[in-house]
Amino acid sequence: MHEFSYAQALVENALRIAESKGAKRVNKVVVEVGSLLLINPEQLRFCYEVVTKNTILEGSELEIENTEALLVCENCGKEYRELSSVCECGGFLKVERGDEFVLKRIVMEVEDAQN
Amino acid sequence: MHRIEVEAEVDLLAENKRLAEENRKFFRENGILAVNIMGAIGSGKTLLIEKTIERLNDLKVGAILGDVVCKADYERVSKLGIKAEAINTGKECHLDAHLVHHKIRKFEDVDILLIENVGNLICPVDFDLGEDLRVVMVSVTEGDDVVEKHPKIFTIADVVIINKLKLAEFVGANVEKMKRDVEKLNSRVKLILMDLKEGIGLEEWIEYLRREYVSRNSG
Repeated sequence: MHEFSYAQALVENALRIAESKGAKRVNKVVVEVGSLLLINPEQLRFCYEVVTKNTILEGSELEIENTEALLVCENCGKEYRELSSVCECGGFLKVERGDEFVLKRIVMEVEDAQN
Repeated sequence: MHRIEVEAEVDLLAENKRLAEENRKFFRENGILAVNIMGAIGSGKTLLIEKTIERLNDLKVGAILGDVVCKADYERVSKLGIKAEAINTGKECHLDAHLVHHKIRKFEDVDILLIENVGNLICPVDFDLGEDLRVVMVSVTEGDDVVEKHPKIFTIADVVIINKLKLAEFVGANVEKMKRDVEKLNSRVKLILMDLKEGIGLEEWIEYLRREYVSRNSG
């Protein structure tokens, strides 16, 4: 179950950013997950819950944005939506989209500025 | 207290990609052919490494053995008198570029570096180590539907080895079907039918490795 290490990387980075903004609590974390990655969203959510325990992210919502795959033939330019290695024409396919794991946005609560 | 939304845009796989590129550069600069050997538990990865070391005794071969815990594979391989390192991943089910990065300096003078990944057909797929060749090893005893059940790893492979051929009739595995499944997913792959205990396919693998080693060092 490698979702645990994905969740850890996600939480470490979200925590670092939230703390640098002086957040008291994090409400939501948005992550982009490419459909080519072998990540099970349910397991990712479960691991997220475990990793965020006792941090300011505890209880926050994890929003997963799914990115569809796009592969393009390096030879003829034909596009594919599913994973394959070789095009009909014999050219190699290159992954253009679908292998991302990106921390997109964080919604958090911060103290009002003191004047 | 008020709520704000912060744009982050942190690519969480970027660090692995960066380190994989560093590993790749290190291998290229030192003329090393790096081979990432992936496959299920018990498919024959460690035995393949042992046999390869024995057969390539005119080249300097090194090995990194990845496992979740324990050093059994490392102990087997280091008995053969080559440079070897163990990586215990702890709870992780795959090697990543970072774990490998810590170990490679020691292998500066080897010709071929064999890296045994943690045994499974799913987790290692998304993690580039900076290797030159990706080898996927399966055996007929895993069932002849093992290929169609794990398409992604076969799609990214340079070499697929189907091992334990001689056991196919006893476990009712259709090797032709396994071959067809691999070729359907990846028509450019080098497919080797093997039975390591019987020595079948080993020659083909050794020749292939030699050719790859020579071609990468003559360019």
